[in-house]
Amino acid sequence: MTGPGFIDIHEALAPDRLALAIRETARRSPQEPAVVAAAGSSDRRSIDYAALAALVDRFEAAVLAAAPVGVVARARNVEALVAIAAACGSAGVPVALLADDARDLAGELREWAVVDDSLVLTASSLPHRRQDDGPPHVVVATSGTSGPPKFVQRTWDTVLAAARLADQWHGLGWLLVYDVTRWAGIQVWAQSLLTGGRLVVPASRDPDTVSRAIVEEQVAILPATPTLLRRLLTSGDARLLAQSKLARITLGGEAADGPLLDRAKAVFPGARISHVYATTELGEVFRVTDGRAGFPASWLGREMPGGIRLSTRRDGELLVQLSRDSADVATGDVVELRADRYEFTGRRSDVIVVGGAKVLPRRVEDLLRGVPGIAEARVYGQPSAITGELVAAEIVLVEPLPTNATPESIRAAALTTCRESLESHGVPRILDIVSRIKTTAAGKVSRRPVTVAP
Amino acid sequence: MTATVSEAIATAIRTVLHDTGRSTSGVEPSMLLSSDLGLDSLDLAQTIVLLERSLGVDPFRAASGSRPSIRSVADLIMIYESAVNPT
Repeated sequence: MTGPGFIDIHEALAPDRLALAIRETARRSPQEPAVVAAAGSSDRRSIDYAALAALVDRFEAAVLAAAPVGVVARARNVEALVAIAAACGSAGVPVALLADDARDLAGELREWAVVDDSLVLTASSLPHRRQDDGPPHVVVATSGTSGPPKFVQRTWDTVLAAARLADQWHGLGWLLVYDVTRWAGIQVWAQSLLTGGRLVVPASRDPDTVSRAIVEEQVAILPATPTLLRRLLTSGDARLLAQSKLARITLGGEAADGPLLDRAKAVFPGARISHVYATTELGEVFRVTDGRAGFPASWLGREMPGGIRLSTRRDGELLVQLSRDSADVATGDVVELRADRYEFTGRRSDVIVVGGAKVLPRRVEDLLRGVPGIAEARVYGQPSAITGELVAAEIVLVEPLPTNATPESIRAAALTTCRESLESHGVPRILDIVSRIKTTAAGKVSRRPVTVAP
Repeated sequence: MTATVSEAIATAIRTVLHDTGRSTSGVEPSMLLSSDLGLDSLDLAQTIVLLERSLGVDPFRAASGSRPSIRSVADLIMIYESAVNPT
């Protein structure tokens, strides 16, 4: 896509880039699908680059005419949302990507114009944007593994910073399993649209729907959290998945464990699996591509590409120094040395305190997932008046169950395994078999207790 | 109601003992939680969560200030009965 006559989007200012890339692809390959929405279902619809560019043009004209201080995108359709984002960047107007939820608009957003799937900007008495208002930014809601989401401001530079624009990344099929308005999701659609790719949005996160979307739409790249990948591998249609053309799986948002990586390699032998370590504050810190859990122990204490240095606090929390003269940044992630690797054992904030003793839920989850017959596990703190908290867990069993196993025998084996490997306060006291574990909007394991049901 | 509460308590204690790999014998009201049944504070905490599920109440969460002493199974029965049937 960098042939003669192609505009080099590197040269454009960041806010313009998305619209520029969409228009350029529309000019060269107008019928190329830009977005395949509701993929894997009978409601599937495909929007080509010409149609998407037309949406961008139309909305940019509307924004330029109305000149709002900012635009709040409350679109439900993916193509509408990305068109709004691209048009706002191009028009130099800030945009908040909030999708269709009932969240109240706080602070500056109250003065912004709101737009939905219709892409109609209603004329309003809201204040107008001034020439000297500065470069347009993007407002996104943070995922928040716990607590309510917060709004954060990002520059277009940071939105597009992680996008890979080299030729090898052009024209690929990207699966969007993340929420389209969350940071991880924005990265995926921005990457796809900047490189003339096909953004495939499954109709739901149901594993069979995702499997169909991957195969039917010939998805090449699957960015996902380990939790979402685990669900796909456990419950997705195995025969269908065997036909997939996946070339890459990019994991992020949570730590990936060894068994999951091995399983993914077995189901998708043709896919390269990488694991991105990033934090909200630092962005992408490093990427592990050797298909093993954690990262090489040798990375600690020496300068890595990009000038980054990793170290650990005494309690195992991973510290990142971005450059020689910057301070260490605490990541909140706890690592543990296992043979030649540092493996992630959990988030500091996820720690469950049982009678004063600390338990990292991830460690327990990893143990549970290693028990034959257990597909998924979630560990959380159950409030207790006696001990503060108790370790509680939910497990999802494999289907079909292993020969001679019963749900009760698997549950007993899980408790035995935990008793043999953990101190008594770390052994789950509540262990429920469920059909599906709770995940956050960002596709990560939820750490919240279940509401007690009789 | 008495039968239900004491049955629920006996069931919860048996589950705790079973889950932690201990032998389960009969649970009688006269038994002391610690010396007769070998329950520690984690076991008691688990019992209370299980009882919240079966009886729908957690009298210890609501209790502010002094916590009633719980030494025997009978103490538990009394506390849960007054929580299930407040008068």
